[in-house]
Amino acid sequence: MRVAKISARAWLPIPPAIIAPLFPIVLLALWSVSARFGWLPPQILPSPGEVWAALLDMAHSGDLAGNAGISLLRVVEGFAAGSVLGLLLGVAMGLSPKTEDYVKPLFTAFAQVPTLGWIPFLMLLVGIGEPLKVLVIAKAAFVPVTLNTLAGIRAVPPMYREVGALFRFSRWQLLRKVVLPAAVPPIFTGLRYGLTHAWNALVAVELLASAEGLGYLLVWGRQMFWLDTMMAAMLIIGIVGFTLDRIMAAVEARLQRWRLA
Amino acid sequence: MAGQGHLQIDSVSKAFRVNGAPLNVLDSVDLSVAPGEFLTIVGASGCGKSTLLRLIAGLDTEFAGNVVLDGKRVIEPSLDRGLVFQEPRLFPWLTVAQNVALGLLNAGLSKAQKSRSVAEHIALVGLTGFQDAYPHLLSGGMAQRAAIARGLVNRPGVLLLDEPFGSLDALTRARLQDELQRIWAAEGITMLLVTHDVEEAVYLGDRVVVMAPGPGRIAATFDVPQPRPRDRANPALARLQDRVMAALVSTTSEQSPAPHAASRPALAARAFLPEQGFRPI
Repeated sequence: MRVAKISARAWLPIPPAIIAPLFPIVLLALWSVSARFGWLPPQILPSPGEVWAALLDMAHSGDLAGNAGISLLRVVEGFAAGSVLGLLLGVAMGLSPKTEDYVKPLFTAFAQVPTLGWIPFLMLLVGIGEPLKVLVIAKAAFVPVTLNTLAGIRAVPPMYREVGALFRFSRWQLLRKVVLPAAVPPIFTGLRYGLTHAWNALVAVELLASAEGLGYLLVWGRQMFWLDTMMAAMLIIGIVGFTLDRIMAAVEARLQRWRLA
Repeated sequence: MAGQGHLQIDSVSKAFRVNGAPLNVLDSVDLSVAPGEFLTIVGASGCGKSTLLRLIAGLDTEFAGNVVLDGKRVIEPSLDRGLVFQEPRLFPWLTVAQNVALGLLNAGLSKAQKSRSVAEHIALVGLTGFQDAYPHLLSGGMAQRAAIARGLVNRPGVLLLDEPFGSLDALTRARLQDELQRIWAAEGITMLLVTHDVEEAVYLGDRVVVMAPGPGRIAATFDVPQPRPRDRANPALARLQDRVMAALVSTTSEQSPAPHAASRPALAARAFLPEQGFRPI
């Protein structure tokens, strides 16, 4: 009895801030050990020290900031365009079944063509410059944001809308005071999916058609067999993506602070 | 702003379509409610009492007959008719004060007038001190008090209450019944309370209307002459309760076995009500 109690307690007091880095640390250790004992050839898996050195090197030369900045800008532009359009379309379809009848079939077909599938066509249409990247990223963010916004607005309890009707809310008041606040969680789920998709699309489009950016660093690192550079780029992509997701989560928590009160 | 609160219901009938077939929920209901009267409606499930309240609120406008408040035909919701639902229906992302204030969004008052009115009505229902609390922190009784404050904040001529205490425990229910009487006396408005609880109907009402199901119609009306404040243990009230209960029981037993067949689809139809009641925005 007593033993069970103690062991049950031993699980509890570890805060997530300590649990979260556990797996990364174990992986890093495994990676170090593997590199030291040469389990994989260094051409395939460079040691953490080499990757770190490459990272520092790139940071000093300005390659890192330059390429990360370009990629970040592309993601921000594409994600902003795609998610704003997605929110608008999701709200429009959510509020008006008629709009959904008109638009949804085309949207579904559009969404079913993978983001990568759009690249050749878009290349012919707009070339391989910045518009291509922003369009591809926007498309990637647009689809999940639209779908989740639509589903979220449809899921707002009719009971809530009725309260609005009772107090003679206009469409705008109903949207602003009832529908959007009630749909915050699903909308943010869509935004976070959208952001992840935007990053995926960025790397894909930079792999295929770019001479700068983090995705390009990946290709370049692989082609030159500078695997330390390649892995450094992967690390940065992961860290930036993680940070953006945290920012979204913080914004959502701020909008939902009543849950904490 | 507050009207007289004289409510006239003239041969109101209402049918839902269930699987394509019309189902009569209300059949030529006539009712007149005097200004300042406290009228209670009691009936078995599926007798259309909640539907009647929704028609009066203006949430559902597809019916035959007329609902007239102070000479004006009801064709849509109005700030002059407050409604308290069975569930508090507070918005969880707003505090008590913000929830109550939402009722004033279209009242055309200044900011200062609004916040004064909100504070007054929160005080009226005894929630002072909880105005900044979020609904999930409130007990069921407190949440329903907040909902009553929201229903009253526009100073409507009529307050409609749809089984407002149905989900509360007995003690809280009794306390809120007394509070509601006090508020009714203080505000001097017409109140229409729908309930399935005979004791509640008799204790609160100036008049008790018994409705029968399948289709919903008025079966009997009882005057409650006891002066207020009333004593729950008053034997005259107890006798009246027995009579109302007898009338209520006879509404469900007089037609058999048809009433069960009729009242079940009526229940199913009620489940669709929220969808039908508002226009899609």
